[in-house]
Amino acid sequence: QPQIILLKEGTDTSQGKAQLVSNINACTAVADVVRTTLGPRGMDKLIHDDKGNVTISNDGATIMKLLDIVHPAAKILVDIAKSQDSEVGDGTTTVVLLAGEFLKEAKPFVEDGVHPQNLIRSYRTACYLAIEKIKELAVSIEGKSLEEKKSLLAKCAATTLSSKLIGGEKVFFASMVVDAVIAIGNDDRLNMIGIKKVPGGNMRDSFLVNGVAFKKTFSYAGFEQQPKKFLNPKILLLNIELELKSEKENAEIRLSDPSQYQSIVDAEWNIIYDKLDKCVKSGAKVVLSRLAIGDLATQYFADRDIFCAGRVAEEDLQRVAAATGGTVQTSVNNIIDEVLGTCEVFEEKQVGNERFNIFSGCPSGRTATIVLRGGADQFIEEAERSLHDAIMIVRRALKNSTVVAGGGAIDMEISRYLRQHARTIAGKSQLFINSYAKALEVIPRQLCDNAGFDATDVLNKLRQKHALPSGEGASYGVDINTGGIADSFTNFVWEPSVVKSNAINAATEAACLILSVDETVKNPKSESAQGEAAASAMAGKGRGRGRGMRRR
Amino acid sequence: MAISMQPHGIQSMLKEGHKHLSGLDEAVLKNIDACKQLSTITRTSLGPDGMNKMVINHLDKLFVTNDAATIVNELEVQHPAAKILVLAGKAQQEEIGDGANLTISFAGELLQNAEELVRTGLHPSEIISGYTKAITKTLEILEELVEKGSETMDVRNKEQVVSRMKAAVASKQYGLEDILSSHIADACIQVCPKNPVNFDVDNVRVSKLVGGVLHNCTVIRGMVLKGDAVGSIKRVEKAKVAVFATGVDSSATETKGTVLIHSAEQLENYAKTEEAKVEELIKAVADSGAKVIVSGGAVGEMALHFCDRYKLMVLKISSKFELRRFCRTTGTSALLKLSQPKPDDLGFVDSISVEEIGGSRVTVVRSEDGGNKVATVVLRGSTDSILDDLERAVDDGVNTYKAMCRDSRIVPGAAATEIELARRLKEFSFKETGHSAGEVSNESTSALLAVKLLISCIGHVHSDSCVENLLQYAIAKFAESFELVPRTLAENAGLNPMDIISNLYEKHASGNAKVGIDLRGDDPEDGVCKDVSTVNVWDLYVTKFLALKYAADAACTVLRVDQIIMAKPAGGPARRDQPAGMDED
Repeated sequence: QPQIILLKEGTDTSQGKAQLVSNINACTAVADVVRTTLGPRGMDKLIHDDKGNVTISNDGATIMKLLDIVHPAAKILVDIAKSQDSEVGDGTTTVVLLAGEFLKEAKPFVEDGVHPQNLIRSYRTACYLAIEKIKELAVSIEGKSLEEKKSLLAKCAATTLSSKLIGGEKVFFASMVVDAVIAIGNDDRLNMIGIKKVPGGNMRDSFLVNGVAFKKTFSYAGFEQQPKKFLNPKILLLNIELELKSEKENAEIRLSDPSQYQSIVDAEWNIIYDKLDKCVKSGAKVVLSRLAIGDLATQYFADRDIFCAGRVAEEDLQRVAAATGGTVQTSVNNIIDEVLGTCEVFEEKQVGNERFNIFSGCPSGRTATIVLRGGADQFIEEAERSLHDAIMIVRRALKNSTVVAGGGAIDMEISRYLRQHARTIAGKSQLFINSYAKALEVIPRQLCDNAGFDATDVLNKLRQKHALPSGEGASYGVDINTGGIADSFTNFVWEPSVVKSNAINAATEAACLILSVDETVKNPKSESAQGEAAASAMAGKGRGRGRGMRRR
Repeated sequence: MAISMQPHGIQSMLKEGHKHLSGLDEAVLKNIDACKQLSTITRTSLGPDGMNKMVINHLDKLFVTNDAATIVNELEVQHPAAKILVLAGKAQQEEIGDGANLTISFAGELLQNAEELVRTGLHPSEIISGYTKAITKTLEILEELVEKGSETMDVRNKEQVVSRMKAAVASKQYGLEDILSSHIADACIQVCPKNPVNFDVDNVRVSKLVGGVLHNCTVIRGMVLKGDAVGSIKRVEKAKVAVFATGVDSSATETKGTVLIHSAEQLENYAKTEEAKVEELIKAVADSGAKVIVSGGAVGEMALHFCDRYKLMVLKISSKFELRRFCRTTGTSALLKLSQPKPDDLGFVDSISVEEIGGSRVTVVRSEDGGNKVATVVLRGSTDSILDDLERAVDDGVNTYKAMCRDSRIVPGAAATEIELARRLKEFSFKETGHSAGEVSNESTSALLAVKLLISCIGHVHSDSCVENLLQYAIAKFAESFELVPRTLAENAGLNPMDIISNLYEKHASGNAKVGIDLRGDDPEDGVCKDVSTVNVWDLYVTKFLALKYAADAACTVLRVDQIIMAKPAGGPARRDQPAGMDED
């Protein structure tokens, strides 16, 4: 009796309980990888990719991205980490860990033959209840004065930073981040905060520029003669080359009379002199261009006490434009005053062994630049990622204006609430909500584990506090310094509530999605398997680039 | 296969390499078996509590869905008979956009029951005529089950729309249907033209943005374009729009040419004239009153410079379709050449602004009143797969809206209709004596036969006497097949199917034809069977009608096959890199 072939040869299908359990196992394995990075005492991961790049990070999203996971179910965890990163910016480890834990708790039930839909329904209910509880517990920081708000935001930033490599200097960086975010104001374009990395020095040498700073660009002879400091200069931003070169690719000169030759040469010089003249006439003291500024122009500007810089990176130029209120010009004709920017002080400064062009005291002040100092390259890279997280957190906190107690306190409180709620339910759902509540405890447990404390002991203490009928223990969390418990709220371990609610939502969504799959079908790759491989390698590259861009 | 080794009989007639299968065992039962397998795959996805499938297609794209149309589409079904089912599902998807799973699962169930009949000795032709009779009767009964007063509806009344749409959305995204269907209904009603029959599903767009949760979803009257505005102006309000289908740049010749310069003067003026020309063009646009320029192609740097100078917002939409939709949204007619637009060509928007949603920058085009024909549902979710699935749910909802614009009749949902059909059909089968067993030919059957199948009609002539009573069996089986729906719904929800079916029968027998399964009941012990009119679960009549019809047609088509002749696949020898031995049939 020949076999019936329904699907294409090479199609790989798996279904049933075994398939679901194997999906869960894959997800738990992934969660285990990032597990140890959680919290202030979390460890970092060193990831060495196939191109030889080394990344040291404890940012969940970064690690997940670099892991190159191929398992289809586990990929979902990568997705939620990314989504948390783009939506909130921090809590990426939390979200993966929670999803892994939800699934792990579901596994015994699945093995016992519970229908996944029952689990999903209960999980969704639990998630809804948890979010409501967060809303209830959240403390609003709305309506405070700017100074007060600043210190509150700094606390949120400090909580995030404490789990990072630069945790030792969290107060220093937290206030820097808050200043930067407040500087860019309501127009929250993230790329208006620049982060510049200069190896050397120590972390404390990092500083915030209330304006724009970028590394000195390549310069020609004559640059030395240019003045390096201006007060209230006018700034001209260009998008043209100030160099002696052919005007257009497709133009050709045919001469019949050799005597005309000189006139053509003169004409070319005239064109460039004309351009330079117009720049000078505009009254600008600082000329920046995205394209090259040649040696002739450099000399010309030096003679007239004007500072110039060519080949300024596009985004730096955009930031200067935003900060100084100027607009980038593609032509030097008809430069009106309106398009020129200005700032209080422009100067070129030595930072480490680099020279930096710094524009500070900008009128519209919608930009800020953080100059990071530190030892090894990887270290600064990680510091940059950490600051990115902190910046995102502060932005979200500013937008949503509510915070909750960190240090596992909120998780314990939700867990307690859900357990209490579960008792009122008759039927299977009670078990499932209970296990959801148990899964939430993974956050404080992992915090303790990573710090080397006795997790069981600490958890029991926490449970006791949270179970106090008066409700005064609701904000008790793990005290990372003593190994005991402490009131997170009064110790200023704060998180924006949106981080938690988004993490719980995303983790539940992912867990439900994985639980709801009862069959995996993998079709054979199409004919051009090689082309595919090449394409995916390309995509990999593209991802790498994409990440780099988003970070900035 | 053994037969193909010795060329005799029909094999000797055919070219070497042809495969030929015939007879009950070889063709009919095996076809049924293949179809059964297919329907087992889709069956668990039926209904609100249906499970998802994870399908990785040949391009390595991951789908996590319970939308049957997507599943069978990505499965790459090879078996010719199973393909008929797939085509039936697709036909349903194209016609209504929903109910594909019902079609495939029901056809599978019909075939499974047919197998039992074949094994008990009925000839396929008897089954076919029984089934044909049964479906005709079913559709008659179905019409009787239509809820009174549902023929007329106001397609602009959100409440009515939502109540009809909810069941379709719930079967894709259970637990989220309330939020989703109200959004979908909003979007649909906004873009519904004067004559609802002309509703175009293309006018409801979906924009998927990773991050956030479903509760953050919104409906925007207008469009959401991914990406930033090109120039430095990021926000305008109450502005006129000019659309240029080509790029916004100084015009260049297509033919390769070289500018010949004869004197120094010409050289000096060359750049200036070009600049002046671009300025003139942009100025012309600005003078026409437009504040926004939309370009279908590249925007030149010089042009951008002047756009900024004249305070024009510049958007780039490279997709032609997207550009067309933009024109529809704003009421603009696209110009081919960069020139001064006529007042008629300009469109109008309430606002265009660049916003940041979940880490990505999008341009939101709002056009609240007057002539707006496009609405966008902004979906938020934590992963791409969730978003894709949500999008499919929205598509289903929009399609349902389209279907209800044409025919707004509804029938009770949640398996109430199916149980009632099963009950009434069974009664009918007892009365069947077979005298009127006329061959009802199905025109639509032939449409489904786009596969490499040679169908030879059954040549036997049966004596009339044996057909007559045997039809009863087929009709009874057909009726039994309806139990698939409540059974699967219950199974997928983790409930006991046997209990529920008998419970439903009992309720229906006592006269209430609207009792269905209430999956939302918090307490599984009681109240699983409820009158659907109290919980408001309705299906569109037309969806059910076509799904059942397509399913019956497909089942009959598969049964009608008694020989399969497969030509040798064209091309060179098959690739032998895979382990051999899998190519018997």
